[in-house]
Amino acid sequence: MRRVLACAIGLAAAVMATAQPVDAQSADELFDAQTLHEIRLLINSKDLQLLRANFTENTYYPADLIWGGGGQRVRNVGVRSRGLGSRNGNKLGLRVDFDRYTTGQRFAGLASIVLDNLLQDPAMVRERVAMAFFNRVGVPAPLESFCRLFINNEYQGVYAIVEELEPAFAARTLGEDSGFLFEYHYVQSFHAEDLGDLSAYKPLFEPRNHEDDADAVLYGSIRDLFREANVDDGTWRERVEPFLDLTAFVRLIAAENFLAENDGILGYAGMNNFYLYRFAGTTRQQILPWDKDNTFLQTDFPIASRLDENVLTRRLLAYDDLRAAYLDTLDQCARSAVEDDWLVSEVARSAALIADAAHADTRKLFSNDEFDAGVAFLNEFAAQRPAFVATAVAAAR
Amino acid sequence: MTRRVVTIAATAIALAGAARPAAAQQPPSSQPTFRWDDHPSIHLGKGTHIDFRARFQLDGRRSDAPLTDDDDAEFDIARRRLGVEGEIKNIVEFQIEREIASDDGWRDVYANYKQFDAVQVQGGKFKLPFSLDENTSPTNLDFIYRSRAATFLAPGRDRGVMVHGRVAKRILRYEVGLFEHDGRNARTNDIKRVAGGRTIAGRLRVEPFRRSKSVMRELEAGIAFTGSDVEEGFPGLRGRTALDSAFFRPDYLVNGRRRRVGVEAQWRPGPFSLKSEYIRVSDERLALSVEDTDLSALTSNGWYVSGTWAVTGEKKASGLDTPKKPLFRGGFGALEVAARVERLAFRSDAAGQTPSTSPRADVILGNGEDVLTFGVSWYLNRWLKVQGNVIRESIDDPAQGPLPSQGLFWSRVVRFQLSI
Repeated sequence: MRRVLACAIGLAAAVMATAQPVDAQSADELFDAQTLHEIRLLINSKDLQLLRANFTENTYYPADLIWGGGGQRVRNVGVRSRGLGSRNGNKLGLRVDFDRYTTGQRFAGLASIVLDNLLQDPAMVRERVAMAFFNRVGVPAPLESFCRLFINNEYQGVYAIVEELEPAFAARTLGEDSGFLFEYHYVQSFHAEDLGDLSAYKPLFEPRNHEDDADAVLYGSIRDLFREANVDDGTWRERVEPFLDLTAFVRLIAAENFLAENDGILGYAGMNNFYLYRFAGTTRQQILPWDKDNTFLQTDFPIASRLDENVLTRRLLAYDDLRAAYLDTLDQCARSAVEDDWLVSEVARSAALIADAAHADTRKLFSNDEFDAGVAFLNEFAAQRPAFVATAVAAAR
Repeated sequence: MTRRVVTIAATAIALAGAARPAAAQQPPSSQPTFRWDDHPSIHLGKGTHIDFRARFQLDGRRSDAPLTDDDDAEFDIARRRLGVEGEIKNIVEFQIEREIASDDGWRDVYANYKQFDAVQVQGGKFKLPFSLDENTSPTNLDFIYRSRAATFLAPGRDRGVMVHGRVAKRILRYEVGLFEHDGRNARTNDIKRVAGGRTIAGRLRVEPFRRSKSVMRELEAGIAFTGSDVEEGFPGLRGRTALDSAFFRPDYLVNGRRRRVGVEAQWRPGPFSLKSEYIRVSDERLALSVEDTDLSALTSNGWYVSGTWAVTGEKKASGLDTPKKPLFRGGFGALEVAARVERLAFRSDAAGQTPSTSPRADVILGNGEDVLTFGVSWYLNRWLKVQGNVIRESIDDPAQGPLPSQGLFWSRVVRFQLSI
C-alpha cells in the first residue's frame, strides 16, 4: 500500500512539474502582423531595478506575461536583457523564456520569444519587414509582429515580437528539430577564413541546443566548413558542399543584398547576425538570418556589395551556375517586391500600424520627426529598390 | 582506512583493559586529583571537577546513489571532537567542545548556573531548545544519522542565553531562550542564503506519570517553537538525503517571519522505546511576488516514528552506553535493534497553479522524501560503539534528487564510535 502511495505521489509530482502549455494562444495570432498587440510584463520592482542597472548582463529575472486585452497570463516566465548594440537599460531589449522556471511551459507553442526594442532603427519597421520579405522569397526567417509593451503597467514603447530561433522554428521552416542550432556572436571581423582548431570557433558559435555534447561533435563540422572553404585546389565545391547548403546560402545572400543589409553575412565589419543550423545526422549546415535592424541602408546599395570580401561568396560566385542562381534570386526578389506592390504596401502598413504608439514611445532613441523621416525614406526605398536591382542584375548578366 | 579502524578498535580495547574503578585509583582528597573512570578527570574539591572528553567517529558508506564527498566515497571520518566539561561547586556546569579540522570548529561552549532546579540560566553557544532528536547526544542516538526532520528543520546550535528548569515536582520541564540567530542547521556557506536573525525559542516537556511506578512512568511529551525574522534571500533550509545529496534546493526567495513548531513524544518502557516527532517550519514571503505583493508561505514539514529494543535487556531510559556486561569483562556488551520511518517535505502553501522553480513562484516545485531505516547498535563497552544502518529512501520527484531516473534507492552505513 505504501509503495502504491509513494508511486501515486511521485506520479502526481511529475505531472504537476510538467507544465501544461498555455495554448489558448496560437502562433498565428501571436505573429499576426496586421495587429498591434499588447504585452504586459509584471516584474518585482527590485528585480526591475536590477535588470535596468545590469542590462549588460544576461541574468534572468522571474516575471509574469499578460497577453492582450483578454489578460491571458503566463506565470513564472524568465526575462533577461538581450542584444548587442541594441542593449539598453531604459528601453530594455528582452528575451522571454516560458520554460525557464516551469519545465515544458509553452506559450503559443513556443518556448521563448524575443521582445526587440527596435532601438537602432528610427523607422522601427526594418526588422519586421525584412523578416517578412525573407519568408516571402523562401529564406527561412523568424515570424514577427509588433506590440506595445508595458512593464508593471508603465508603457515601454513599441517592440517587435520575434520568433526565437529554437527547435520549434527549425521544425516549422526546415522540417526537423533535432539538429544542432548555433547563434553566431560577433567577436572579431570574420570573413569565413580558416581559424584553425575547434577552440577558435567556440566563442563565435554558441550552441542553442545539445549544449552538453563534446566540442568535437558541436564544432567539428563548423571547423570543417571553413577549413575546406579556404582550400584552393580546384575542388572547392566538392569540398564545401557536404558542409553547407550552397543553394540556400546563395538565396540568403541575394535576399540580404536586395534589402541592402549592412550588417549581415556580408556586413560592413565582417559576418554578423545569423544562426547556423546543422541537420540531424549529417554535416550539412544552413545559415539563417537574424536581427535585421540594419537593412534598407540605401536604395542604390550595389548588388555585388562586399561579395569579394568573404571567402565563401568570393569562391562560390566563381562557379557560373551559382553566380547565375545569385542573380536569378536577386531578380526574383525584385519581382516579388513589386508583385501586388508588396514592399511599398508592407512598409506603409507597418508604419501606419505603429505610428501612434511610436510617437508615444518616449524611450526610443530617435525623435518623432526622425521616426517620420525614417518611414519616408523606407517608402522611397520600397518604391525604388526593385527597379534598381532589376537594372543592376540585367547589367551583370 | 583499515588502519584507522584498527587504531580506534585497539585504543578502545586498551582503554577497556586499563580503566579501573575510580575508587581503586585514588582515594578521595581535598587536593587536586586525577582520576580516570569513564574519562580522564581532574577533581578540585567537592563538587568541582573538569572532565576531558573526546569522540571519534568513522563511517563506512555505500549507496545506490552517488556520494557527495570528493575525497573518499567509501569511508568518512564523521567526527573528531575534543572537549572539556565539568562543574564548579555543584552550582555551575560548563562544557567546551571543538570539532578538529572543521571550519566551524566550536561546538558547545556554554556555562549553566544550576543552583536552583526550577530556574537555571545557561549562556554561550549551545543547541536551541527545539527537537528531541536534535538535542540527543551522539552517544545515545539510536541510528547513525539523526532524523531528516531534526537534521534540517531543527535549528541546531547558536549563541544565546536560556532560562530553564523543572517545576511541578519535576513533572514539567521548560526552556526559553533568546539567540543571536536561528541555528547552524539553517545556515550554509553560500553567501546568497539567509538565516534567521535574533531568535526566540521555547520548549515545554511533560512527564505526566513521572511519579507513577507503572510502565507509563517513562512517557514524555513536549512542544517547542522558535520565531525569528529572515531578511530577503534564499533560505538556508534545504532537503538532503541521508548521505547528504540534495533533493530540494530552495532557490525560492523568503522574507519575513520564520516560525518553527515542534511536537515530540517518547516512551521508554524497559528495554523498549518508541519515539516520534513532528516539525513544521514556515517562512513568510512578504512583498516578493512579481507584483510586489506577498507570496504564500514556504513550508517545510518533517516527522518520524522510531522504535528500539535492547535485545540484551538494558533499560532504555537508563541508557545503553554503559553496558552491564561489557565486552572483555565477561560479557558481550549491549545490543539494540531499531527501526525508523520518516518523511521530510517542502512546499508552498498556495495551490491551483503549475508548480514552478521561479524564485518568486507562488506555487513552488516542492519535493519530499520518505526514509525507512533499520539499525543495529552494539555498545561493546562504555567507550566503543558500532552501528549498522540500512536505509531505504524514496524521493517524490527523482529529477531533483541524486538519481534523476530513479526515485528509490538503498544505502548501507556502518559507524565505529570511540567516546572517551
